[in-house]
Amino acid sequence: MRARSAIIASLASGAILLIGWQAGNQPTTLTGAVAPSTAPPATAPDGTGPAPSATPSSAPAPSAPVTPAAPSGVAAGTFTGSQIQTPYGTVQVKAEIAGGRITDVIALQMTDQGSTSMEIDQQAVPMLRSEVLSSQSAHVDMVSGATYTTEGYLTSLQAALDAAHFTR
Amino acid sequence: MVSLRGVAASQGHAHVFETMGTTVSVRFGAEIDAVGIGSVRVALERVKRVFREADSRYSLYRPGSELSQIAAGTLRLSDASEELRVMYELAIGWRNATNGAFTPHRGDGIIDLSGLVKGWAIAHAGEALTAGGLTSWFINAGGDVLTRGRAPTRPWTVGITDPEDRTQLMASVVMTQNHHAVATSGSAERGEHIWTQSPRAASEYLQVSVLAPDIVTADVLATAIVAGGQNMLDLAASTRDVEALAVDHHGILRVTPGFRSALAA
Repeated sequence: MRARSAIIASLASGAILLIGWQAGNQPTTLTGAVAPSTAPPATAPDGTGPAPSATPSSAPAPSAPVTPAAPSGVAAGTFTGSQIQTPYGTVQVKAEIAGGRITDVIALQMTDQGSTSMEIDQQAVPMLRSEVLSSQSAHVDMVSGATYTTEGYLTSLQAALDAAHFTR
Repeated sequence: MVSLRGVAASQGHAHVFETMGTTVSVRFGAEIDAVGIGSVRVALERVKRVFREADSRYSLYRPGSELSQIAAGTLRLSDASEELRVMYELAIGWRNATNGAFTPHRGDGIIDLSGLVKGWAIAHAGEALTAGGLTSWFINAGGDVLTRGRAPTRPWTVGITDPEDRTQLMASVVMTQNHHAVATSGSAERGEHIWTQSPRAASEYLQVSVLAPDIVTADVLATAIVAGGQNMLDLAASTRDVEALAVDHHGILRVTPGFRSALAA
C-alpha cells in the first residue's frame, strides 16, 4: 500500500496537500506532488519511494521549481508540475504559492479518468480535528457512538437527549 | 432506570425501551399528530416486537435461542429455520464483500450474527413505522441510527461521540436525502467484539462512523472498517455509496468528501 499512498498524495487532492502543509509535512508532500518523475511504478525502488533528484534524462523538466523553502524571490506565483504517469492516469498539478506558502493546489489534468480515478476522489483524507469539532455545536437530535450496553445508555448523551424530550 | 412511558403522541416525545442488551430510542417528527395516537401505539408495539423476536432467535446470551442451540451443537445449521439461514447467508455475503473484515464467525468458530442482527432489526423496525403511516422518525439502537423524514423544523442531525470521552460530541452530521443511516463502531468500548484480520493485532481505528442509505450497510461497514483498517476504509468508500469518519489511535481523523459535506455547520 506504500505505492498507493504515494499515488494518492500525488493526485493533487487539495485537502491532502494543504492539510499536510498545516501538519508540517509540507516538504514531503510537495515532493510527492510535483516531482518531475515519469518513472513507471516498476522502476520505483521498493520501500524507498522516488528520489526527487533522480530525474531520468529523458524526462521533461518541470515548468517551474516548486520549493517551499526557496530563497526569497521565488516564493510566490503559480507553478505547474510536469505530467506524471500513474496507474490511475496522467496527472498534472498546479500550485499557487504566496509568501512561501501553498495557497492552492489544482489538478490540471486527470486523463484516463476511469473508475479508478473516481474511486480515488472518493477516498478518505486526513482532516483536522478542529475542523470537525467546529461542527459539534449544532443542535443534535440523536447520538451515534460505539454500541452501549443498557447500563452504558444511562450515562450516554442519547439518554440525556431522551430525558430532555420526556418532559416536552 | 428510564422506562417506556405511556405513549403520549406529541411530536418530539422520546420513546425508550431495552432490548438486545442495549437501549432503543424512538422519536417522531412533525406529522405525528395527524397520524393518531392509536396508530402510533400500534407501530411502536411492532417496533418492539421486531427487536424482541430478533433477540430471542439470535442472542447468544439466551441459552434457548436458536443460534445458541447451533452454538451448543444441539441444532444443525441445515436444520435451522429459514429466517436464520437467510440471515447467515446475508452475513456470508457481507463477509465476502468485505474480504473477510466482517465475519459472522467468532474466533472460536461459533456463529455470531450479532454484527448483522441489530442493523437488520433496526431496518425492519423502520419498515413497521413506515407501514404505520409515519414518515418522520428516528430509531437509535445502541448508537446505531436510522432516520426518515425530518425533525419538526429542520433535517435530523446526528451527533458523533468522541471516542476519547464518550460524554462529549466530536462532530455532528446532517442527514441527507440519500443517506438516512449512521452507525458507529469502536475498538475501545466495553462489550465490543470486533475481530481484527490479523488475530492479535490491535485495531488501527479507535472509532469509525459510516453514513449510508441503509442501516445494515452502515453498521456492517463500520464494523468491517474497525477490523480491516484503512484498506477496508478505502474499499468501502470507493465501491459503495457510503461516507465515513475514522479516528485512529493517535487521534488523527480521516473523512470521505461526502462526510465532510454532511458535517453540521
